[in-house]
Amino acid sequence: MESLSPTRSISVTVNGTTYEREVEARKLLIHFIRDDLDLTGSHVGCDTGNCGACSVIVDGTLLKSCMLLAVQADGASVETVEGLSADGELTPLQQSFSDHHALQCGYCTPGMLMSATALLRENPSPSEDEVKKALQGNICRCTGYWNIVEAVTAVGE
Amino acid sequence: MLLREVEYAKPASVAEALELLAANDGARALAGGQTLVNVMKARAASPDGLVDLNGLEELKGIELDAGGTLTIGAMTTYTELVRSVEAKARPILGEVCATIADVQVRNRGTIGGNVCSNDPTNHLPPLMVAIGASMTVAGADGEREVPADEFFLGVYMTAVGPGELLTRIAIPAGKADGFAAVTLGADGTCIANAAASVDAGGFRVALGCVDAVPVVVTAGAPEQVAEAVRAAGIDAPSDVHASSEYRAHLAEVLAVRAARQAAERS
Amino acid sequence: MSSTTVAPEKVAAPQKGWAGQSVPRKEDKRLVQGEGVFVDDVKRHGMGYVHFVRSPYAHAHITSIDVSKAEEIGGVHGTLTGEEVAALTDPFFQISSVPGAHLKDYALAVGKVRYVGEAVVAVVAETRELARDASELVEVEYEPLPAVVDARRARDEGTPVLHDDAGGNLMWEGVYEWGDVEQAFAEADRVVSISELHFHRFNSTPLETDGAVVEFNRGVGQWTIHCNNQFPGFAAIMMGPAMRCGLDKLRFVTQDIGGGFGNKITSHPQLVVCCLLARKLNRPVNWTEWRTDFHLSMSHGNERFFLDTEVAVKEDGTLLGFRTKALDDAGAWLRYEPLGGVIWAQVVPGMYRWKHMRLEFTQVATNKAPVSPNRGYSRMQHLWFTERVIDIVAHELDLDPVEVRKRNYVRADEMPYTTPNGCVYDSGDYARMLDVALDLIGHDSLEERRRDAESRGRLLGFGIGSTLDSGTNNFGQSRLINPELQFSGNNEVATVKLDIFGEIVVTLGTTPQGQGHETTAAQVVADILKCSVDDVHVRAGHDDYWNSHAGFSGTYASQFAVTGLTAVKGATELLAKEILKLGSVILGGVPEDALELAEGTVRIKDNPEAALPFMACGAIINANNAGLPEDLGVTLNCRYVYRPPFEVPDIERKYGNLTLTYAAQIHAAVIEIDPETGYYEVVDYAAVDDCGKRINPQIVEGQVMGATAQALGAAIHEIFEYDDEGNLLTPNFYDYHVPHALDMPPLATGAIESPSPFTELGTKGMGEGGGAGIHAICAAVQDALRGHGDAIVWDSHNPYRRVWELLQRPEESRARVEVS
Repeated sequence: MESLSPTRSISVTVNGTTYEREVEARKLLIHFIRDDLDLTGSHVGCDTGNCGACSVIVDGTLLKSCMLLAVQADGASVETVEGLSADGELTPLQQSFSDHHALQCGYCTPGMLMSATALLRENPSPSEDEVKKALQGNICRCTGYWNIVEAVTAVGE
Repeated sequence: MLLREVEYAKPASVAEALELLAANDGARALAGGQTLVNVMKARAASPDGLVDLNGLEELKGIELDAGGTLTIGAMTTYTELVRSVEAKARPILGEVCATIADVQVRNRGTIGGNVCSNDPTNHLPPLMVAIGASMTVAGADGEREVPADEFFLGVYMTAVGPGELLTRIAIPAGKADGFAAVTLGADGTCIANAAASVDAGGFRVALGCVDAVPVVVTAGAPEQVAEAVRAAGIDAPSDVHASSEYRAHLAEVLAVRAARQAAERS
Repeated sequence: MSSTTVAPEKVAAPQKGWAGQSVPRKEDKRLVQGEGVFVDDVKRHGMGYVHFVRSPYAHAHITSIDVSKAEEIGGVHGTLTGEEVAALTDPFFQISSVPGAHLKDYALAVGKVRYVGEAVVAVVAETRELARDASELVEVEYEPLPAVVDARRARDEGTPVLHDDAGGNLMWEGVYEWGDVEQAFAEADRVVSISELHFHRFNSTPLETDGAVVEFNRGVGQWTIHCNNQFPGFAAIMMGPAMRCGLDKLRFVTQDIGGGFGNKITSHPQLVVCCLLARKLNRPVNWTEWRTDFHLSMSHGNERFFLDTEVAVKEDGTLLGFRTKALDDAGAWLRYEPLGGVIWAQVVPGMYRWKHMRLEFTQVATNKAPVSPNRGYSRMQHLWFTERVIDIVAHELDLDPVEVRKRNYVRADEMPYTTPNGCVYDSGDYARMLDVALDLIGHDSLEERRRDAESRGRLLGFGIGSTLDSGTNNFGQSRLINPELQFSGNNEVATVKLDIFGEIVVTLGTTPQGQGHETTAAQVVADILKCSVDDVHVRAGHDDYWNSHAGFSGTYASQFAVTGLTAVKGATELLAKEILKLGSVILGGVPEDALELAEGTVRIKDNPEAALPFMACGAIINANNAGLPEDLGVTLNCRYVYRPPFEVPDIERKYGNLTLTYAAQIHAAVIEIDPETGYYEVVDYAAVDDCGKRINPQIVEGQVMGATAQALGAAIHEIFEYDDEGNLLTPNFYDYHVPHALDMPPLATGAIESPSPFTELGTKGMGEGGGAGIHAICAAVQDALRGHGDAIVWDSHNPYRRVWELLQRPEESRARVEVS
């Protein structure tokens, strides 16, 4: 029978590597990823779950990692931006972002890439509107989104 | 945006969840977390404990029975509702859920969480009231049914009491519904919203955003809805997005639009 | 979704030249892999996390502070209070003359708090969560005072005064007048009077907030400040004297910065706190600003009223001049202010040829967050004013706003054009840009679209927004604010060297936040050294240790394409000369003019086989230099400081060139309003840019797009709004709505190039954009309401609720305008 506890031992697989850690229940998944696992590609941009810079894929589902407790990822498989490319070879999506100038400062980019990755897995050739809808949870202040939408639709063509 | 210390448990069954809640006064149920985690980050509320409902299969599932009643598990996410074939028996559900925030929120946020948090700007409380949903609340003594128009009691307050859980929502099949909102940007927070449903008895319109709980008005025809809203004497809240006067005006306009949409689909 | 005239080209052969090509960005590879290094990615062993205790009151005396309970918690390393700061530091230097000069601005509140969110105490603990928890145990007692939030009331009798040292809420005032204003009004056929226009308070909310990881090297007394401050030159000048240390003790290191837009210039108070803590606690400290803290306390854009405006105009729409009173709401402290009081003067007449103007500028303090540069800094506010004037005059005199603009735009054949206050618009063809914009938006079919919208119950509106992006400041303009200041001119540094193995290594003094400096710098270098951009390694970010910085180093004020790139050009030309000189010696005394650089070598033009690769050059100078002529003077490590040609302005006449270049943008917007609700959407949009020679057209277009999106956000949704008690009602992204992907209209972009005659590369700085989107949306809303109340748009912020009010009660807005 479960009882309430302020800490928990968790086992989380991130980008294929399994980590076993004891964490405080209150720790957000994004801080676990960034501070405990030193995977600093996922970013924090707000306090209210609005910006999506922390977006990751958990058991195949796109989520904002600032809205999940680390303990809730126990037993889960998490994908972050660091897991997209193997050995520095950019994926077609990453290359498309560069080709279409879909990033300027790069801070929203990891979150955008994860959202786009989730979309393309389900819908390999999305329309412009479908891409916008899929990226609605990711704020960008530099690009105005036009080039990002173009970059994602281009991958699908 | 860091939580206070909190205790956590992941029960393996609804019964276990109820026991934990009953035994720990300061514990709250954690559903999708898309509202509660934010509240805890802001430290606007800091429960002592969280009972995680994620993974409880008993709270999932969307079923359509032969009588045409949809039964939706409280932990059904918005995405699941949008994609559900069964839920098409009441199309307005998926249509409205598809406009809530964004993919990430919809993948994790739940219909149960939406109604139980009862934020006045939420989409689902007025919708549930307009379409006559029925909520099943489970506690130590068993289950009870609470009709939607008795479920919402105040801001962030519902008929789900301490030690209880919303387990499922029952909705009759039907198509004659409408929903209209003015939001802060596309798919954004509602500044004003209205849900409508029409049947032989006439139009039933529930207004969100204007009071602590959805405000219900009834009318025989869409043209009479505006007057019904005015007669309700709404004192809408004023905030950075709308003055009281503007919000009340929007409520009236949206009520008529929702009613017209319901009429078109009936 | 967007159609653009810029087709990104594949990297072409060097013969074509790199400048002008949309070369793929060097920055991208690391950023798309999540391998950028932003400040919170920097970790140091044993570092403590900083959390600020902030004031819940807009205005209050601090009667006591007790940190003992916080410090008792295990894992809490220590705290810092205003009292300590006042003992350890001197107040920050004030740019202002009196009365603003009297402000005593410290890194933490001392004795009093003056805005909600002002930092009072800093707590450091071993985890982020602990620092947050401990801050709740800090006990601060306040004695609340009444607050002033309306700038128009700030100087009224009996209004609460923020700074007793200043004797009132007036911070700075000045009168600007040029031409013969009285005569202009005497000659006018009509005078259009507008009682009040209001430019609202917002900023660019870069996705990454401010932050720092600060270490103190006790042995040499030097701080290393890893941060994302975008103008370290300014931060150092402010911090050094305050901390009573030499500037060499403050080493600024930045790499990737998640957006700046001017909002990361004034983080020096927080950086001072971090420095003091690092020294006091003998450990590195990490400060990562919360989104809420950024909204509450950081860098709001200037909020400005334009009161009692009068415009002198001829019957045919020729504008003669204007008078106005600009009232600027600076918030609680002057950090970069009151420079906003003169920076607007870079664009006094906007894009127009009128010659007679008078502007009385008054800046006051209020109990709101301190204002400091925001994209378009102070020019945007003034250009919005000129655009509103054009549109309102056209509206009231029943003239076509397009025609009024064309009649009054400075003409291409008048360039370079000296404005009434001695600024020189270097080049440009505004009328042609307007035509491009009209074409892109389909202006000819506008009336048809209007009728179609009407059939759907919508009101269609069309608006033009024209704006200038003045770039490369002459800091001498600061003397118009305070004659005693010893600033003038501008500079930027770059170094270019050949390493021992012939690698080309470039360092910049700038602090890019996404503008692609590494890439465009490489293009300039590659063109001069005649190599591939892939062979040019530009170091990422800024580091004072590289000695590639100068007094004004940083990335701000739309200037990199001029200051940064000309510094790169200068350094590379020095290097090229040295390579030729070395080649001449090594290739047997061949004269330099018989040599050329090609394919990564220096070689004899007529005998390309006789070539010395860069690798050999590097090796010879660095490791194999015996026997070289004594007076060779070649080090292959060249540093160049670019200094734009400026004079100190005439302080008496407030006359002189304040900016070197003038990029321009003209935008066109089509909106559709739902009159029942006031809701509206932007259904079509065009943006045309002219920034002179474009080194990388794709990067330029990206800046235009970003500025457009931010302007649309500001026009429709974004505002820092306060209630009467001084509480910020939009302290996070939940209530402060910024545009998301679904909010973006279709966009067509266009560009023309009017090279600057004043810059070596023909480039003009660009990037800020001047807020053309705001001007265009205001114009479109006003156009839509013609014949539906004829309200005039008098506020830069027009959310749905305001549009509804303009429809419901147009007489309220119309009461602001009078034509005589």
